[in-house]
Amino acid sequence: MDKLKISTANLVILVAGVVMLIASFLAFRTVSLPSFSRSWNAWSNGYFIISTIPALLGVLMAAHVALETYAPQVSLPDRVLGLTWTQVHFVLACQATVMMLAFLIQDIPLLDRGIGLFLMLIAAIALLVGAVMRMRENTGPRPFG
Amino acid sequence: MANQQSPTPAEITIMSAGAVMIIFSFVSFAGDRSSWGKGLFPIATLLPLYGLIMGLQIALTKFASLDLPRSVLGFTWEQIHLALGSMAALMAIGWLLTDYGPKQIGMWFEILGGIALVVGAVMLQHERNTGAIG
Repeated sequence: MDKLKISTANLVILVAGVVMLIASFLAFRTVSLPSFSRSWNAWSNGYFIISTIPALLGVLMAAHVALETYAPQVSLPDRVLGLTWTQVHFVLACQATVMMLAFLIQDIPLLDRGIGLFLMLIAAIALLVGAVMRMRENTGPRPFG
Repeated sequence: MANQQSPTPAEITIMSAGAVMIIFSFVSFAGDRSSWGKGLFPIATLLPLYGLIMGLQIALTKFASLDLPRSVLGFTWEQIHLALGSMAALMAIGWLLTDYGPKQIGMWFEILGGIALVVGAVMLQHERNTGAIG
């Protein structure tokens, strides 16, 4: 049962990462004209790889949490480029959120925002919430008191 | 402190990259639109904004002797530069690999600037002996 023990912060990151990946395959942008309709996901030509980056960041965060929790025998460095893993999570989550907010604001003529874009934005915010919770849980840097 | 000395190579790299990125953000990025143009703003504008933040932080502390807090949200300024530089390089590679039509001069300079930012941030780690790299 110990294997199932996961902190709330890590659970939020894990779930958000999975949702982010699934959402990236749903409609990111759509066009609906009387005689024509089409949708593109974050992996479609013209969107890959700039629109896929937030999903990849989410997957990376979720994969790290999964390894850390369920495969403790896997040896990972304590720090990456001088940053603790908790700081890395915060940076990646901030980047994913900023990019998804930018995609939300981006106004492309004739194209509407798809359900995938909205779900990816929600997942990115959840990743950020998880990363902040992780910072508060850990004994390392505590940015928000 | 380094604040009163002339800029180091890392600081020059970051400030130059930031300045170039802001200038070229007003030049054609894709088609005839700049990174501030409709359909590209603000996703294409993130790169020059990251360059602006990094370049401005260096310039203000170096030339205006602005006294900023030693850390923000638990990150030192060297770590912030490395984080922003890395994310700028990630977006630069993203734009490089995205098939968004013919790449214009503005996009090329944003891509090069993004890579220069992470190079400058890594150099900054060495110069300030943070021990993060190498």
